[in-house]
Amino acid sequence: MRMIWEDLQDKSFYQATARERAFGLVDKGTFKEFLGPRDKMVSPHLLVLGEALEFDDGIVVGVGKIKKHPTFVVSQEGKYVGGALGEVNGAKMSYTLRLALETYEKMKEKYGEVPDEKKPLCIVSYDSGGVRLHEANAGLLMHSECMELFYEFQNKVPNFSLCGSTIGAYGAQGFVCMSADVVIANDYGRIGLTGPDVIQQEVGKDEFDASDRALIWRTMGARSKYILGDVDYLIKDTIGAFRNQIVDLADLPMKKISRSRHLGSPKLVEENLEVVKLAAEIKANDSKDLWKYYGNDNPDELPELPYDKFISTVKRRPRAI
Amino acid sequence: MAKQFLYVGKGDQAITDICDADSFVENKIGDSRLDAELAPGAMVGEATLDGELVTVIANNSKRPNPRFRVVYNGVIGMEECYKFAQAMYATIEADKDKPLKDKRPIVLLIDTPGNSPGKVEEIVGMTKGTASYQFAIEDARHAGHPVIGMIVGRAVSGAFLCHGLLSDRILALPMKYGTIVHVMPTTSIAVITKIPLERLNELVKTNPVFASGAEFFYKLGGINEMVEDPKDMKNAIKRNISEVRKLRLEGKEDQLGIWHRGVVGAERGGRAKRLNAITKMRAEYEKLLPELLD
Amino acid sequence: MALTELNFEFKPKDAKTLVDDWSHTGIVSSGDIEVLLEKNDSLKGAAKVHIITTVVGFDNVWETVISRFIERTGLSGVNISINDNAATPAVVIRRMQQAIANGGGLQ
Repeated sequence: MRMIWEDLQDKSFYQATARERAFGLVDKGTFKEFLGPRDKMVSPHLLVLGEALEFDDGIVVGVGKIKKHPTFVVSQEGKYVGGALGEVNGAKMSYTLRLALETYEKMKEKYGEVPDEKKPLCIVSYDSGGVRLHEANAGLLMHSECMELFYEFQNKVPNFSLCGSTIGAYGAQGFVCMSADVVIANDYGRIGLTGPDVIQQEVGKDEFDASDRALIWRTMGARSKYILGDVDYLIKDTIGAFRNQIVDLADLPMKKISRSRHLGSPKLVEENLEVVKLAAEIKANDSKDLWKYYGNDNPDELPELPYDKFISTVKRRPRAI
Repeated sequence: MAKQFLYVGKGDQAITDICDADSFVENKIGDSRLDAELAPGAMVGEATLDGELVTVIANNSKRPNPRFRVVYNGVIGMEECYKFAQAMYATIEADKDKPLKDKRPIVLLIDTPGNSPGKVEEIVGMTKGTASYQFAIEDARHAGHPVIGMIVGRAVSGAFLCHGLLSDRILALPMKYGTIVHVMPTTSIAVITKIPLERLNELVKTNPVFASGAEFFYKLGGINEMVEDPKDMKNAIKRNISEVRKLRLEGKEDQLGIWHRGVVGAERGGRAKRLNAITKMRAEYEKLLPELLD
Repeated sequence: MALTELNFEFKPKDAKTLVDDWSHTGIVSSGDIEVLLEKNDSLKGAAKVHIITTVVGFDNVWETVISRFIERTGLSGVNISINDNAATPAVVIRRMQQAIANGGGLQ
């Protein structure tokens, strides 16, 4: 089985498969997959329902290295059943996180203090709509397993969320994604809890017109999330760009990596609540209202600006980090 | 027996029925006072259970949020999540100098149809709200507070994920009292997956993994205990509090919470393939371990 | 609403096998397949094919498409496992070619 690592670095992250992303994000030749296609661990529930199977159940998990860091990778495949999570692929995701934490604890036993340049890392490349309805109860449970581990990761295992694939990080994966230390996205990234179709269905078309592509992008898309501070780094669309961003941060002390955290403390509750109150106060009905509030006088132009122009001119919500 | 919707939409009634008479004081936890204007539907405060002080977290379906039009009928929106989180931190603060054995319990009374599916929620970040509450529950557990979830009504999808699933123990009333535990009704699953409803209803009988209802969740281990008679709720909650406290004092943290529910589920025959997957991954990992620690 | 399982075995005249031990390609999205090739020396010049498909009633088409591909390329000494979600023959052939390329080609 071959994948040319050098070619993957220039490949579009958006177009890459889950396996290509996993291989390309870590150092050349280091990725070892857990439960790969040869294990043929398919979903027993999709089988019973007569739905198409995939040998990896739509997720690629494993461990590689970035410099001296053991790097645990979860990479979701949105083109298979929307990347949604059930019993098998859910267990693959949550247990990989558990192994990352265990590696940290073992390293601590071995070294006393885990050296900054060796600490284990965790990368999740999101491409999922959340719970897989065909096995919904199992899907629900795995999300809580992930949340408990992400809680435990704090101040131990640097946790990177990558967004920039076909589906985005939606449903319960949306909040799992936001629980990381660092959120990295390209211009295709989307993060949300309730997808456009569901909002329209539940509340009505006057609340959200799910056929309005521009509305979807400016509501859930990475540029808005970057302005409002949910996305920490907005980068170009190559696997190499995502990798380089992680490589840049990997050796930093955990305290510094955690500075961009979006939640997980009383202080961050108050910071987030302030934005909620602000949105209510100015009666924000469109992300543009908030973009404008944070100093962007050209909200209509922002989604269309070329990437470099956007990055160099955009004003973001100030954070005390 | 006809289904009885005992507490659906009536979280306040559940507080009255479970806690000591007139003991609930809303928006007060220790020396902290929570903002009554914030998230009016999020009922938080102190009460006593047979004299023991507890923090209570519930939803009042009759109080819509005047600032967020999608937040009504027990929906948990952004303000509600952050208020719940504040209640967790206020609880931790109130008992910060007490020994582990005296940390007050937190009781989540669960009756919510979902997180709010609105546009402004997506713009600002419903995601961060629900995750913040979940991390706050974990903070409370790690500070030593027993956290017990009691499903008295609706425990639906993402709202159940934030309000309940991370508890040390989850208890539920059976379906005949109107409890609803699921991601979405089987009828909606049929529409979205394009699988005929008759086929799903047939499979539900043998496979709890996509069936709707507390009893099925129990089989998966997602619910620790069914409380068959609503009159027994207070005693069941009290017993679970003391069991959780004991396990925590003995350092048996691994017998509490969501990962332990995986073990419980396996004992009840649920999620069998998950165990296969985990076992195989463990073996693969152990082979690599020496070089990972190098 | 059930999946169909098909099993074939073919023996090409000009037998060649994969350079690498195994190879994989494809995502099982709608209209697509995944192909897994695993070397198996005990097959001695034959290719054993296992297909799981969501489509009913195309057994002959599968047999023709795969047998021709194997005869043309000589691919053998491998287990070929395919998960199909209603792919066209053109897609099947393209994925088979990619799987061989990902496995270092034939020798």
